[in-house]
Amino acid sequence: MKLKEIIEKLSLVTLTNVEDKEVSGVFISDMLSDVMSSAETGNIWLTVQTHKNVVSAANLIDIAAVIVTNGKEVPEGTVELANRFHVNILSSPLSSFQLASKLVEAGLK
Amino acid sequence: MKEETCSHTWEMVNVQSGYIVTENCFRCNKTATSFSAGEWPPMEEYREGEHFWNIMEVAQTIRFDLTCKACGKLVPLNELAGLMMCTGCDPKCPVDTLMKEMEKSRIWVFVAFGFFPVDERTQLSQEKIAILEEYFNQRRKSSSSTIRIVSSEKIDDISRCFAEMIRDVGMLSLTPPATE
Amino acid sequence: MQEDRNHSIEIAKIKEALQADIITGNSQTGQYVTGIYASDLMSDVLAYGKSGSILITGLNSVQAAISAYMAEFKGIVFIRSKIPDQDIRKFAEEKGLFILTTDTDMYETCVKIASIEGEVSVSTAAAALTKRAENVTTYSFSIDGQDFASAGMVSTQIKTILKSIGYNPLIIRRVAISTYEAEMNVVMHAKRAKVTLKASDQEIYIIIADEGKGIADIELAMQEGYSTATEEQRAMGFGAGMGLPNIRRNSDKMNIESKVNEGTTIETMFFVK
Repeated sequence: MKLKEIIEKLSLVTLTNVEDKEVSGVFISDMLSDVMSSAETGNIWLTVQTHKNVVSAANLIDIAAVIVTNGKEVPEGTVELANRFHVNILSSPLSSFQLASKLVEAGLK
Repeated sequence: MKEETCSHTWEMVNVQSGYIVTENCFRCNKTATSFSAGEWPPMEEYREGEHFWNIMEVAQTIRFDLTCKACGKLVPLNELAGLMMCTGCDPKCPVDTLMKEMEKSRIWVFVAFGFFPVDERTQLSQEKIAILEEYFNQRRKSSSSTIRIVSSEKIDDISRCFAEMIRDVGMLSLTPPATE
Repeated sequence: MQEDRNHSIEIAKIKEALQADIITGNSQTGQYVTGIYASDLMSDVLAYGKSGSILITGLNSVQAAISAYMAEFKGIVFIRSKIPDQDIRKFAEEKGLFILTTDTDMYETCVKIASIEGEVSVSTAAAALTKRAENVTTYSFSIDGQDFASAGMVSTQIKTILKSIGYNPLIIRRVAISTYEAEMNVVMHAKRAKVTLKASDQEIYIIIADEGKGIADIELAMQEGYSTATEEQRAMGFGAGMGLPNIRRNSDKMNIESKVNEGTTIETMFFVK
């Protein structure tokens, strides 16, 4: 499934420029070390973390998009860095749990 | 398959979660980092020979090894303290220069750190750094970008580097965020 | 900020949906949770978590239990086979928190809990999640030849890992027996070996690749009672046969390859029924 399709279906807010990518699945964690060990390329990553290092972890694995949940505000520095390194950052007012059920309904494994 | 002829397909094994501890000696001002598996490490200051170590920071992290699925070659990565993405804060730094050059072809530059003090700990060999880079690029093979990993020795002056290692700080803090 | 929606899910249903183990709070399984909160960031749990909720987390630390308690949660699900230590158990018991552990990751855990309430239809969840069952955990070990002092250590480690993942004791017993036999063969006959364990929901797969003199006649070695052990080794109780028949008996699938003066590789597979 394409990222743009998911953005549309789930009315996600885009905080960076969005490059459409193929989405391979969903990964939920607030720990960068978890992403480093277990996330897969093309995963959508749901997290409440918003610091710059999220961009580094997302880039290391090539995450399709980071979705910041709970409507958390993302610092400008993080958005700037994400734009520079082509990391898609989206936002949702839902919690990670709530968004997870919507993503599975949308057909994501 | 024989190790020598194998083209290697790497996977991450022996993943262990723990803490990376940064200590500072107030006498000589040296910084030391170490990995502590499992339990939250002791926070008291202590003396070790001429050093008086004080804990500066504790962050959660993982340590891991790599192994080849085909030939079974095991690459222990005990010397790896962490990875950092170069975010380009020091135009004088050779890593910054490399990053800017690579960026055009969608190659992201990461820096592999060994443990401090650099002159007292075995640092990651160039061979292991190359394997680490190969591992991540194999794992992100469906990607249109690649990564390049260089040694932290390439950084011109660490005090001017503002990027952070990929590790988890403040996860255990029970203080709710001030803003909201 | 969040959708303010109240849940009401019986703890027993969560345990069942996740096929989770209950670590503390056995008597609470008839109670209900009124919210679900999935996070590893404890300050957030305190800031946004609602009382009566269940915390889903991968943060295996007593701080997770403290946060859950302070936010007036009912209990915690630790994901990805993270086994809470004594401190966590003690704290949870004292404060009346229930603790579950599951081998699924955070997304799958969320989806399975959501499907209990019909928020996600069970079939959608099942279809989406079957593809994730391949989730394999890999571990590597090494064995040194002639190191009789540590003989059996690797099979013991493997047994501990499999127990912590939560496999059926019968399959663990079969894996332990055949791995022990193979490990003893390495100690007695080879220079060293690498052991790889791959554990998934479907099967347990073990590869023991040694460097050593190899086996000239595998067929002969597979016969009961065949042994090349020295008298000394026999005196220690090892080597009453090469153990290969025993490995075959205990595994669901076995493959053995050997080259003289190079080494032997034994692969065994155990199906999780």
